[in-house]
Amino acid sequence: MSAETEAATPTSAVGDVVVATDLTKIYGEGDSEVRALDGVSVSFPKGQLAAVMGPSGSGKSTLMHILAGLDRPTGGSVLVDGTELAGLNDQKLTLLRRDKIGFVFQFFNLLPMLTAKENIELPMKIAGAKPDPEWEATLVEATGLGTRLTHKPAELSGGQQQRVAVARALLSKPAVIFGDEPTGNLDSKTSGEVLDLLRRAVDEFDQTVIMVTHDASAAAIADRVLFLRDGKIVRDAGRLSAGEILDTIKTLE
Amino acid sequence: MFGLVLRGLATRKLRSALTAIAILLGVTMISGTLVLTDQIDRAFVQIFQAGNAKIDVVIKQKPPFENVQTSVYLDAAVVDQVRKVDGVKTADPFIQSEGYLIANGESLNSTGGAPSFVFSNLPQDLNPYTPIDGRLPEASGEVAVAKEIADKGKVKVGSKQQLATQDGIKDVTVVGILQYGNGDTSLGGSTTVLAPLADVQQWWALEGKASYIYVKAQDGVSQGELKDRVRAALPQQDLIVQTGREDADEQAGQLNDLIGKIIRYALLAFAGVAILVGAFIIYNTFSITVAQRTREFAMLRTIGASRRQILASVIGEAFLIGLLASVAGIVLGLGLAWGLGKLFGAIGFGLPATGLILSWQTVVVCLAVGIGITVLASIFPALRATRIAPIAALREGATLPVGRFAKFTPAIAVVIGVLGGAGMAYGLISSGSTTGRLTTLAGGAILIFLAVAMLSRYIVRPVVSVLGVPIGAVAGGVGRIASENAARNPARTAVTAAALMIGIGLVVFVTIFVGGIKASFTGAIDSSLKSEITVSARGFGGTIPAAVLPAVQGVEGVQTASPVGGTAVQIGNGGYALIGIDPTTLPEVYAFDWTDGSDALLGTLGTDKALVESTIAEELKVKPGGTVDVLSISGAKATFTVVGTYTDPTILNGIVVDQPALKPLLQSNATGLNTVFVRVADGTSVETVQAGVEEALKQFPTAQVQSNQEQKDQAASGVNTILVIFYALLALSVVISLFGIVNTLVLSIFERTREIGMLRAVGTTRRQLRAMIRWEAVITSIIGGVLGVLLGILFGWAVCKGLESDGLVFVFPTSQILIFLVLSIVAGVLAAILPARRAAKLDVLAALSYE
Ligand SMILES: Nc1ncnc2c1ncn2[C@@H]1O[C@H](COP(=O)(O)OP(=O)(O)O)[C@@H](O)[C@H]1O
Ligand SMILES: [Mg+2]
Repeated sequence: MSAETEAATPTSAVGDVVVATDLTKIYGEGDSEVRALDGVSVSFPKGQLAAVMGPSGSGKSTLMHILAGLDRPTGGSVLVDGTELAGLNDQKLTLLRRDKIGFVFQFFNLLPMLTAKENIELPMKIAGAKPDPEWEATLVEATGLGTRLTHKPAELSGGQQQRVAVARALLSKPAVIFGDEPTGNLDSKTSGEVLDLLRRAVDEFDQTVIMVTHDASAAAIADRVLFLRDGKIVRDAGRLSAGEILDTIKTLE
Repeated sequence: MFGLVLRGLATRKLRSALTAIAILLGVTMISGTLVLTDQIDRAFVQIFQAGNAKIDVVIKQKPPFENVQTSVYLDAAVVDQVRKVDGVKTADPFIQSEGYLIANGESLNSTGGAPSFVFSNLPQDLNPYTPIDGRLPEASGEVAVAKEIADKGKVKVGSKQQLATQDGIKDVTVVGILQYGNGDTSLGGSTTVLAPLADVQQWWALEGKASYIYVKAQDGVSQGELKDRVRAALPQQDLIVQTGREDADEQAGQLNDLIGKIIRYALLAFAGVAILVGAFIIYNTFSITVAQRTREFAMLRTIGASRRQILASVIGEAFLIGLLASVAGIVLGLGLAWGLGKLFGAIGFGLPATGLILSWQTVVVCLAVGIGITVLASIFPALRATRIAPIAALREGATLPVGRFAKFTPAIAVVIGVLGGAGMAYGLISSGSTTGRLTTLAGGAILIFLAVAMLSRYIVRPVVSVLGVPIGAVAGGVGRIASENAARNPARTAVTAAALMIGIGLVVFVTIFVGGIKASFTGAIDSSLKSEITVSARGFGGTIPAAVLPAVQGVEGVQTASPVGGTAVQIGNGGYALIGIDPTTLPEVYAFDWTDGSDALLGTLGTDKALVESTIAEELKVKPGGTVDVLSISGAKATFTVVGTYTDPTILNGIVVDQPALKPLLQSNATGLNTVFVRVADGTSVETVQAGVEEALKQFPTAQVQSNQEQKDQAASGVNTILVIFYALLALSVVISLFGIVNTLVLSIFERTREIGMLRAVGTTRRQLRAMIRWEAVITSIIGGVLGVLLGILFGWAVCKGLESDGLVFVFPTSQILIFLVLSIVAGVLAAILPARRAAKLDVLAALSYE
């Protein structure tokens, strides 16, 4: 099945932050071979909030890991902010992640022994860079964490923890932020707070966000929704309502 | 349950191996020590049995009191009485003395502290030596030498050489090359020369004397039978009659007490330290793994495992680790004993090739200690595991419940610390037996180590916040995370550090203690001696010919040459030195530190007055006006009135009398001279005079000429050798504690897999990750190092103060302490290598996967 292109943006253009071409990822060999990604070509322009959806085992995580330079594809190429990932060694890949990519995970996002503020500043501290104080203040303001900055993660609610993680991802103004089920572990109220923040990051701060999600209401705030099945992009749509998304998923399962 | 234990060990291979190493090294040392000392023990027995192989009965003088190192002699004429006894085939006097061959100008004396013997010759049917070239010495001036010496000095039969004797250097002719026993036993690095009895008697001032009378029985007369007959024939009750076998066993036993047992207990003490350090590590490892397996234990509880079964599973794991480690330790110990034997050989103290002996006692001790300590150290963690409720299996992030007694820990630690302090104080101050005092002292030190280990968790956080500042400055964000990680489980970091603390603490302590001994000696020379050159007896013969004094006095530039002599005496039940001095010259070469009296007393000593060193006076409970009754090693008795006391635990440490008062108490062969203090005339160069004295004493090889600096250097080098040996032995404990750091880090990294994955994802490079682990290790090792240094200083100070009256001086070893702190940092860096590699190799995706 070929991807039905109905998105507002072309597949590839100058100014795309992430460009993937003909990605394949094969696990195992012979009979036990699994094609986790099977010829995926997709690109993400700057300033877009994209959601990647699909049934379990469809290759969402694999795609995100490869786009984020955490894993290498079996074939195909990935450009992040103009840099081809294929030729990079571990050191260069790490530095690229540090400088150009932000991450929000489902679990284990924060270091328990550091305060919220320290967690936000962590990647910049590791990079030996000084956070821009104005930008940091703006982010703190946006996350609504002002009074809780000196608290340890254990003293924060799940939603607050995840907002700290978003602020951390935003602080270095990366080219793109990846989220792997960023709201997967939260209830609907707190996940709303986190999604709001991601939305604002794109709208107000001109950031680019690509998130994998299971949650139709989360995908509904995205500018673009990609559907994966069996390692292939089966639908690449613009903004969809939660209802439309659920319908699409039903057809996939 | 047991199957589960085995499975658990197999899946946690690295962890189990690291834990096992902690106890394995200690067991290795115990096993090595026991095997080696069994070997030494057997070697001594073999040597003496070979020596007495042909001797059926031995007669010797009973010393007037026990525990004397000075040789005693009997009347050689006793042999005439013995020869008349029915059943005696041969009987001959024998003398054992010290001296050595000088071949082609080279002194062929022993190495490594073994004695250099000159024996009087015996007829072949009593002689343990047989010539393999030439013959036994007969005429005056003839000698035969052991093969080892002949080889070393390329000595040929018929060559003219020299013999160093107590009476000076004698010209001799080598008439034979000898082998001892049946040829495969040597006397552990010692050297042997045989000379005719009359020569030995003359050259060692032993005319008419003998060390032993050796008797050979006629065929058909047993050793025991002959012994009884000889005993019956000898009315003298101060003679001891033994069979050859009894004498050999007794001598082997005495030598073993002197050497084998000291080596054994010293090495076992260090092995004990290693085991203690290992116990800390095992305790820590089990605490961590039990915490990490909280959910596993809870799950076992939900499916019906009882508390007892949980306890048994943890202790069973400890038992298995202890068993494996002990067995490996026993085997490695054999290798260690073999290596140490080779090392002894290399430094000139060759042991006879008796082979390694692994006695069942060694196996039992090693298994008991290895398994016992491992199980003991695992009991508290195991008990905590039993307190895990089944419900914890269902809870995300369930943690180990705190121990029931956790809140009392600080109080318990303080009590233990106070007990330890009291033990140390008692050990230092009490007047009990040395063994008892040392045991309380060591026990006290262990308790203090324990108390500090228990309390140190409270200093982890403050220390980390102090260290965090410079580390943050150097290592940035990674340093900050490392600091926080170190402070995350204060108890874990504290116990890990405590293991290192013990090793470093003892290193600092021995540095201070040995430094104190050195300083006491140099201090005594600086404060007491006004002389610049000292002539003293070389080796442990302990006396120099009387002719040395006039020879020294005749040297140009010598202003004063003051003779000092002495003998071993018994007062009450204690052994002391009775020191004979020359009252007119002594004040010119020696400054008394009077506690009660003045130099004016010296002229009044006469033949019945004495000065007593103040510590000895306290021991004997005498004050000026009181009297002391002395029994000399010669058997003579005398009573002295104490007229003054002075302090000098180093140079004149004994009871000082005028020389004429000493004379009647000397053994017939003693010259009453063992030291000459030489004061150089004003305006004369010390070097020139020293050269002159050396020239004048060329004929007296037993007299050693040293400047004050040379004396200090000699003392320092002896002491430094001991220090190096102590360092080497303590290094083992430090190495074990490094395994502890490795172990804790590996376990912590395992626990933090996901954090590490996250850190890598957000841009932490492998190098930064390694640095992070390294800093955590360094923080731990700095805590251990600093605590160790502080405790070491405390112990060193306490012991130096406690033994002040024995002359010990507390010297703060600034530069060494800096070196030890740097070394503990290096230790941390080393310990981090393996864990850092493992952390850096972690697959980011695997770390982040949460299925
Ligand atoms: N490390 C791996 N080894 C083998 N197969 C894998 C591995 N990771 C993922 N897969 C397989 O690849 C496919 C896609 O997985 P994934 O990307 O995790 O899917 P999703 O995130 O959409 O659930 C699945 O069939 C999965 O079993
Ligand atoms: Mg997934």
